[in-house]
Amino acid sequence: MIWEELKNSLIMTEVEAESYEDVMRMIGGALVKDGYAKESYVGALIAREKEFPTGLDVDGIGVAIPHTDVSHVKKAGIAIGVLKKPVTFVQMGTDDETVEVKLVFMLSVVNPNAHIDQLQRIISIIQDTNVLNQILEVKDAEQIIEIIREKEKSL
Amino acid sequence: MKKKVIVACGGAVATSTIAANKVVELCKKNGIDVEICQIRISEIESNLPGTSLIVTTSKVKRDYGVPLITGMPFISGVGVEKTEAAILKVLQEA
Repeated sequence: MIWEELKNSLIMTEVEAESYEDVMRMIGGALVKDGYAKESYVGALIAREKEFPTGLDVDGIGVAIPHTDVSHVKKAGIAIGVLKKPVTFVQMGTDDETVEVKLVFMLSVVNPNAHIDQLQRIISIIQDTNVLNQILEVKDAEQIIEIIREKEKSL
Repeated sequence: MKKKVIVACGGAVATSTIAANKVVELCKKNGIDVEICQIRISEIESNLPGTSLIVTTSKVKRDYGVPLITGMPFISGVGVEKTEAAILKVLQEA
């Protein structure tokens, strides 16, 4: 279950970011601080986002799922950021199509094939606009964890 | 005969893992024997021999001479059925 592993310190609401680089520094920085990722993680996230963008337009809701090479990660984790105002990301699978992102699910992945179930749960959460809208409405970490817990009951 | 499918993304970390798993499930359901080769985009060329299909979650501009289908719908959830049908068509004809 994802919700069991979510930590309040890694769920950030009203994140004030001006660019995707800011997003990486603020949310990625939290993963580094909490021991999930190495110091090199934030720089690697930014570099990878330039080459392989992670923005998604989920039926009109902008979501990004930044992640990077396992060599920058210490242990598997997920950080969630709700942005105070949307930040422009390029859409995954494109060079130049952009999406205004309000929700960030940042992943620290160690061994993807061992965590396929977790990855699929995260994707199921991201694909559910109902869940995304609920997360966008609430203001604190506890409520976000509760929303994800509810969603996972149906998975 | 086993069909070889390359599933690739930028870092072979998250999205290609999801897409690869979906391709495996789809083929199992439809009785197609596949061998998945999950790699980075930059590794496609050296893994081409014997490949029937390439599925990617990143933009690929090159033509590898092998059918290429975007696996993005597996991530965004939009257009999954169409993508699955396209994958089946390629593999059933391969």
